[in-house]
Amino acid sequence: MNPMTTTNDQTAAVRTQDVWKIFAQEAEEVHAVRGVQLEIQPGEFTAMAGPSGSGKTTLLNLIGGLTRATRGHVWVAGRDLTTMSNRALARLRLEQIGFVFQAYNLLPVLTAAENAEFPLLLQGHNGGDRRARVRELFERTGLAGLEDRRPGKLSGGQQQRVAVIRAVVGEPALVLADEPTANLDSAASDQLLAMMEELNRDFGTTFVFATHDPRVMERARRLVRLVDGAIASDERR
Amino acid sequence: MARNTTLLRLASRNLRRYLRRTALTASAMIVGGALMIFSLSLGDGGHEDWIASGARMGSGHLSIHAPGFQASRKIEDRLSAEARTAAERTLGLPSIAEHVVVMVPQLAIGGLASSPTGARPAQIVGVDPTAEATFSMLDDKLVEGRYLEADDRLAAYIGTGMMEALDLRLGSRLVLTAQDAEGEISGQLVRVVGVFKSGVPEIDHTLVHVPLSTAGSWLRSGGDVTTIAVLLDRSRAVPGVKRALERALAAEITVGALTVLTWQESSPELNAAVRIDDMGNYVWQAIMFGIIALGIVNTVLMSVMYRRREFGLLQALGFTPRQTGGLVITEGLALTAISGFLGVAVGLFLTWLFFRNGLDFSFTWDDNFTFSGVVVDPVIIPLFSVRRVVQSLAFILMIGTLASLYPAWRAMRIDVAEAMKFER
Repeated sequence: MNPMTTTNDQTAAVRTQDVWKIFAQEAEEVHAVRGVQLEIQPGEFTAMAGPSGSGKTTLLNLIGGLTRATRGHVWVAGRDLTTMSNRALARLRLEQIGFVFQAYNLLPVLTAAENAEFPLLLQGHNGGDRRARVRELFERTGLAGLEDRRPGKLSGGQQQRVAVIRAVVGEPALVLADEPTANLDSAASDQLLAMMEELNRDFGTTFVFATHDPRVMERARRLVRLVDGAIASDERR
Repeated sequence: MARNTTLLRLASRNLRRYLRRTALTASAMIVGGALMIFSLSLGDGGHEDWIASGARMGSGHLSIHAPGFQASRKIEDRLSAEARTAAERTLGLPSIAEHVVVMVPQLAIGGLASSPTGARPAQIVGVDPTAEATFSMLDDKLVEGRYLEADDRLAAYIGTGMMEALDLRLGSRLVLTAQDAEGEISGQLVRVVGVFKSGVPEIDHTLVHVPLSTAGSWLRSGGDVTTIAVLLDRSRAVPGVKRALERALAAEITVGALTVLTWQESSPELNAAVRIDDMGNYVWQAIMFGIIALGIVNTVLMSVMYRRREFGLLQALGFTPRQTGGLVITEGLALTAISGFLGVAVGLFLTWLFFRNGLDFSFTWDDNFTFSGVVVDPVIIPLFSVRRVVQSLAFILMIGTLASLYPAWRAMRIDVAEAMKFER
């Protein structure tokens, strides 16, 4: 497929149109993302790969509404992020996007279950509903019995699985994972990826990874390679 | 609701997470809050003592006069019999009487006191000896002889200053001269039955108490008086009682038969002294809490800087910048509210400790120390006041909120993408 091809499909999970991100760094400008056109359909399991500095994390942040495009447009679930207020962006992130980060980023003052249910709490779900959904996901992902542990009492793999549960618990349209396996050993990485594949398959959640981990690239059903902020290849399997 | 609960839960757990830092800041707030409530209670206790002293030495917490009397101090500006009757009847109304400890009639005029040795200006006050003994502190300041009694006629109670100036002693004769009700200069011979020492030079040198009946016949004023002096159960009741009196006596006030004055109006210098002392106290509190506020700013700002990634994460998960700032303010407020309550509790405990016997400052000033025309008791009994507790808590919470504003603003402006890269 031609990587530059886009459609006007409003049902796409993600669509970018000529999106640029330019950082001013001292006297010069850094073009972190250069005119990217990308469309990701619901239910895809996509990896964006590339060397350090290729712009994959920046592109992920643009798709997640964590940073604003210098120019171009980004649509998530049919909504243009580039024209949204900060408040609307926060609402969109809460309802439509889940994040998984390299450093797990669990809130240290909350237990594993409280971390996992946090998006549901913000969405206004009642306690019974929250607990039931978190319990189900903990059992499904082999974390049952660890609900009351604080993040500091969990292994890296366990923390990252809690982070994935937090990302999917609100049933978002899209989960963005930035180097989710970078801090994990092989076994923990495989376990995590298997869990994500299962959630993708069973719930139809769209996953987009920024990664340079070959294990993630192998499992991805679509591999987008970035070089110097632009898409170099886009391969479906 | 769920979000508010979340904010509170996160705030309280974060405060516990950084326990040492929280405890250090909280201890400063607790000490500050305790000192604030104790010093305000002590200040109020001292002021209440000054006011009571001033009221008992002068014309009470409230005084009822003819309109021109305060300026003229002349007998022609006395209350009419009708005005006096109306005033005394009103003071007996249940809603007013519940605050009235005692009310006394006084016939107060300026005159001259003379003896074979010389003459001195005098503030001559005709009093009802029995009622006056419960109102005035002067009978307690007796140094020689006795206070006036109900069946006294030609008796005078004078200060040590006048006694020395006119070379008088107990039983000495003294001539009082003043303008009478008919405008004639009239003299009255009296004998010294008692001598007082108030400690206030202007009182000890000029004040003379004589029986009201003697003054009435001497000055041909019959049963008229210039003043009805009213002592209340506490100075804080003054505004309410004054309003009630003015409502009930509106007809008399409108026709110019009488006026109601507070102690602040009768003794403006004492009022100024209380206000200046209060202001000094407030300035001191403001400086102290300014320093404490810097501590809170430091604690909360350090927390914000240290937790950039956490705030970035919260925004990635769906917190708005405003909610992120709200979390910071909630933490600051929770810290100040808890430590403020504890501080006020400690302050109230200190107040209670000194409530019975007071705090003795006699090492700083003695029994004869006077200030703005009143004798200042070296033992100050702190005064508990719900108003002060509410004021202190409100002030502490305000400081907490203000001190959290800048850190909250910083948290709101966090670049989420940058924050998530932080400390990787």
